[in-house]
Amino acid sequence: MSLLLVGLSHRTAPVEIRERLHFPDSSLQDALQRLTSQSAIAESLILSTCNRTEVLAHSADAQRGVMLVRNFISDFHRQPERSLHPYLYDLTHSEVVRHVFRVASSLDSMVLGEPQILGQFKTAFSLARRIGSVGDALSPLIHRAFFVAKRVRSETAISSAAVSVSFAAVELARKIFDHLSGRTVLLMGAGKMSELAAKHLVSQGTTQLLVWNRTYRRAVEMARDLNGEAIPPEELFRHVERADIVICSTGSPGFILTRSDGQRLIQLRKNRPVFIIDIAVPRDVDPEVNDLDNIFLYDIDDLQHVVDANLKQRRREAQFAEAIVQEEVQSFIKQARGLDVAPAIVSLRKHWDVVRREELARNRAKLGDLNEQQEAALEQLTRGILNKILHGPISEIKSLGQDPDAEQKIATIKRMLGLKH
Amino acid sequence: MSLLLLRLTIAFYSVGLLHSFLTIITRKKTLFRVALAGISVGFLCHLLAISVAWFETRHPPISELQGVLSFFALVIVLAFLLAYARYRLDSLSVFVFPLAFILTLAANLTSEPSQPFPEMLGSLWLYLHVPFIFLAYAAFFVAFASGLMYLIQENELKRRRPQAFYYRLPSLEVCDELGYRALSIGFPLLTLGLVAGVLWQAPWELDKKIIASFSTWIVYAVLIAYRLSEGLRGRRAAWMSILGFILVLASFFGTRSQGSAHPFIQ
Repeated sequence: MSLLLVGLSHRTAPVEIRERLHFPDSSLQDALQRLTSQSAIAESLILSTCNRTEVLAHSADAQRGVMLVRNFISDFHRQPERSLHPYLYDLTHSEVVRHVFRVASSLDSMVLGEPQILGQFKTAFSLARRIGSVGDALSPLIHRAFFVAKRVRSETAISSAAVSVSFAAVELARKIFDHLSGRTVLLMGAGKMSELAAKHLVSQGTTQLLVWNRTYRRAVEMARDLNGEAIPPEELFRHVERADIVICSTGSPGFILTRSDGQRLIQLRKNRPVFIIDIAVPRDVDPEVNDLDNIFLYDIDDLQHVVDANLKQRRREAQFAEAIVQEEVQSFIKQARGLDVAPAIVSLRKHWDVVRREELARNRAKLGDLNEQQEAALEQLTRGILNKILHGPISEIKSLGQDPDAEQKIATIKRMLGLKH
Repeated sequence: MSLLLLRLTIAFYSVGLLHSFLTIITRKKTLFRVALAGISVGFLCHLLAISVAWFETRHPPISELQGVLSFFALVIVLAFLLAYARYRLDSLSVFVFPLAFILTLAANLTSEPSQPFPEMLGSLWLYLHVPFIFLAYAAFFVAFASGLMYLIQENELKRRRPQAFYYRLPSLEVCDELGYRALSIGFPLLTLGLVAGVLWQAPWELDKKIIASFSTWIVYAVLIAYRLSEGLRGRRAAWMSILGFILVLASFFGTRSQGSAHPFIQ
């Protein structure tokens, strides 16, 4: 029995192809049942997200299984098989183990380290279990994949650094203030992005939100939507010192906050740090403000730089994650083989011992009366011959632990020694 | 016996050293749990070593350079363990573990034939003076290390191009708060230590060490006063913590006072 996987992902196929081969949730049950109704496919699981569609299966014959699954995918989606050829990849044996571990650990994701894939994988698994298309053959692999994903998350920082601008802003705020509960955020000007950043900050525990806008009515509206406090246009400088975090996105043509304003602000705040996020274009805050102690000013490009650095950091962490995956693949294969090899040896020994006893019983009468010692010697002789004969094949089977074609070779050895399966 | 225990301590502390070394090289927290266990066991071993030395010689092992270095290492590890219990600051370990190792190793290497305990040192006040001073020094070391972490992290944030330190070091808030806490623990201890020293030595003659120690006290007093009144926080406070600790080192190692009450620096 062998593992196999056929699929396509953002690495091999553009979105126009991916959407054509997507399995919507409603069709999954039908698809899995059709797949496993074929006698050559013992177990199967479908993972279908917007970035990948993959069919994982367990089959008696890997090559035949791959063909069947490929045909199934093209039939199910009514796509000619030839048109899919350049996009589909198929993996067998240990490649499957490695791929499944990497996917679960988000090493194969479009945004490296994003954890959603693990949740999607878990959903796919529980559905397949409920339907019964996954059993004892695939379950250990998938459980192990979840374990590896957990290990990667806890032992590397692959998912920790923010990879969107608004989350990068939250993360920076944490590097300055540590925790955000009890902090005050001032939102200057309206805009989708500043609202998004403000929402992220509020969800991270900031307790107060101040909203300022050139037109007071708009400020009041926004304050109502975001559950904050509106500040009248002319009172900005009376309130700005209350804010630990300021998000600017006004349409003002010039600087609203100059260097000298910054100096006054920091005096009023008695040197308590302030984090200013200026996402307005043209900018609202004089970039020189960043030279002042205890003011940290980031414009939209700076945030993008942080995101880039974070992605680089994730790629660095991915190297550690790959090493973990490698290690786990090896130990999983070893374990799986260990289980595979033992029954072959046992059945071989059992079969030939039965043959030996039958032969002995058949010919025993011809030998006449024997004393106890002679009986024992006869037993030992036949057993000894058998052991000598079986020694070669058994040590060969044992040595196949690391061999990628172990299953086929073991089957050949067994056939040669008269075992049917 | 105490020497054997001290060597065992060094062995345990070397795990911490290895951790710091690997963490700096790989830029990734490596072996921290193992190192923390090593340092904790090492600390107990160290405490035992000093107690045994005290029992063997029947006087506190603080009259020679060896004993003083070893004691200093002990209180620095203690300060780290306390700070870690409160803030879970593993980054601090990169500073503390090598220092603890080097001090203990130096204490082991400078082992000199035990000299008769100087008559003038035997007094109740001495027993208070030395521990207080060194606990204060350990606290100032923590303030120094958190000041350093603050400056590095602040630099990362100001440059707006995060590199490895940005990810590894704690937030500015935590560095600042830890520095402040350490100062507010260290300063009263230093004060008590100096008062005990004055009482123990009275009538006292000025040696250079005493002058240096009082200058240190003044620097920290100014720093604390500024912080309390308002304003001095962040970068400038970090710099002052670093400066203060340099002065501590200078007054500890830089002043030779032969034949005085501080014979261990000869």
